[in-house]
Amino acid sequence: MGKGIVFMLLLLTIYYSLFTISAEAKVYIDITAPSSKKLPIAIYDLQGPLGREISEIIREDLIFTGLFMYIDKSSYIEDQQKAFNPQNWTPLGIEAVVKGSVSGGERTLKVTVNLYDTMEAKPVLSKQYQSDKDLLRQLAHNISNDIYQSLTGAPGVFRTRIAFVGDAEGDKGIYIMDWDGQRAKKTSVKSKLVLAPHWSPDGSQLIYSSERGRQWGLYLLDFLKMTEKMVFVSKGTNMAGDFFPQGDKVAFSSSKEGTPDIFTLSLKDRSFKKLTSTYGIEVSPAVSPDGSSIVFVSDRGGSPQIYHMRSDGSDVRRVTFEGSYNTSPSWSPKGDRIVFSCRRGKNQICTVKPDGSELSQLTDQGNNEDPSFSPDGRYITFSSDRDKIKGIYIMRTNGEAQKRVSPKGLRATGPRWSPN
Amino acid sequence: MKKFVAEAVKSNRVLSVLTLTVIALSFMLVAGCQQRAATRPEGAAVTPSAKEQPQPAQQKEPEKITEQKAGDVTSEEVASISAEGKEGMFEDVLFDFDKYDVKESYKAEMQSVASWMSKNSSATLSIEGHCDDRGTNEYNLALGDRRAKSVKDLLISLGVPSSRIQTISYGEEKPLCTDQSEECWAKNRRAHFVILMKAGK
Repeated sequence: MGKGIVFMLLLLTIYYSLFTISAEAKVYIDITAPSSKKLPIAIYDLQGPLGREISEIIREDLIFTGLFMYIDKSSYIEDQQKAFNPQNWTPLGIEAVVKGSVSGGERTLKVTVNLYDTMEAKPVLSKQYQSDKDLLRQLAHNISNDIYQSLTGAPGVFRTRIAFVGDAEGDKGIYIMDWDGQRAKKTSVKSKLVLAPHWSPDGSQLIYSSERGRQWGLYLLDFLKMTEKMVFVSKGTNMAGDFFPQGDKVAFSSSKEGTPDIFTLSLKDRSFKKLTSTYGIEVSPAVSPDGSSIVFVSDRGGSPQIYHMRSDGSDVRRVTFEGSYNTSPSWSPKGDRIVFSCRRGKNQICTVKPDGSELSQLTDQGNNEDPSFSPDGRYITFSSDRDKIKGIYIMRTNGEAQKRVSPKGLRATGPRWSPN
Repeated sequence: MKKFVAEAVKSNRVLSVLTLTVIALSFMLVAGCQQRAATRPEGAAVTPSAKEQPQPAQQKEPEKITEQKAGDVTSEEVASISAEGKEGMFEDVLFDFDKYDVKESYKAEMQSVASWMSKNSSATLSIEGHCDDRGTNEYNLALGDRRAKSVKDLLISLGVPSSRIQTISYGEEKPLCTDQSEECWAKNRRAHFVILMKAGK
């Protein structure tokens, strides 16, 4: 089988100098408002080599958020080389302008970016970046993050990644790609069957289940040590679960004592605790962001439904009542919503409040599974077979802007958005 | 960049580790190296109007972002237990959608499996639980587990010692056919028998 696939270490080091100007943190877009007006923004092609490529990435990033209205460059009257003059912009209704330049040698890029507020007639961000040419995408995403943060007051997620299970001709493996689907790479984890990767809270580890030698075990991939460790194997089916917020404990499902039940396992001393015991199926535990509760799937009521309990297994109550097949729950980062796969003829993506209220269906095409939130809670990734072959998709939490991001032709399932 | 860092994780308590393939890689977190104090952007092709010149008061230490991605994984590989599996001796037990109860119609077949097992006392039986792909992957893995367990329980009730029956779920990961039709789904919702001739231990 060869030596395994080389999953190159990508280590990005962008040095950048920061010149902040913002006097006080003005919020241009209130992202907490349900439907605030889109902010009209002009984004020049940065001058110099690769400037256009960088600007294109920045535009795609910002447009996907749904918070900006990108005004096409054909309508800019200002020469980018000339000084910023708000009078060139306010008549067009443009509220923010991004200008900048790129210089660089053979291998490195130096980028200067200025973001102007046309209303207040002043720069709100002026910053220099330096990076390796190979890291152009990361560099651009970084600029997007800074622009986003300057205008919304919240951190962007443009440098996050998505882990998923890819299936290249029957060989399933764990892949990682940028959130926008670029730079997808297979990790060198060797397994024919692997399921359900979940990130540790600090983003340095993935836990997943893998079948080896006719047994399903929990395995931990540590990106800092670059090791894979077996965490738990026993008779029966051990299904990868979810980290507690401190990262030292996981919840998972195991049938080691007969039927699939929910357990917690300490990664420190390997002690475990059984939280449920029914004759049926209990699977897919998802730990709340504060660690106090767990939602999971149980068929104790006759069909698979989402249930909620405290992390010690007490106070079990049912969350979903609509439909006869609700599975794969995952929490929003704030803990105010649960996203899951709801069967409505086909599998769709739904969200609901933890108390069972405000059910909302977000998809209606094909079968959609394995949803999880982005770390800022504004987007959801999931798998879908709407374009025949299963792939990884992303959308906003209101269901807008659904698009496939995983590589064409690669069968892909089980996506998880990285926490950072 | 890549180094072979031999010796990984010795398999803990589980199965015998037949192969331990180790690929390793050095992962370096380039940390440290703080850059000197920032210099102002030179040339200032894009100059804010003079009175709005950036105030150095807010100048921060040059920030540095490191993104740790991934490298080669020191991977512990447990080779499949190569117990030769003999398949096709017994028919698959088929299930209804999202169900794991063994239908009455399989009673006779269960009897014949049980009597074969009692005649071949060195054989171990592995029951594989499978699902169609309409459910979700994780739930299907649990459902396949439950299906295999249902068949196992039935065989135990017919006198087969529990120690001679293994179960494994493959969920929807190993479909027999991939068409999106009721006929194909029905085939995939199965418990499949594999006879492991060399009794494990």
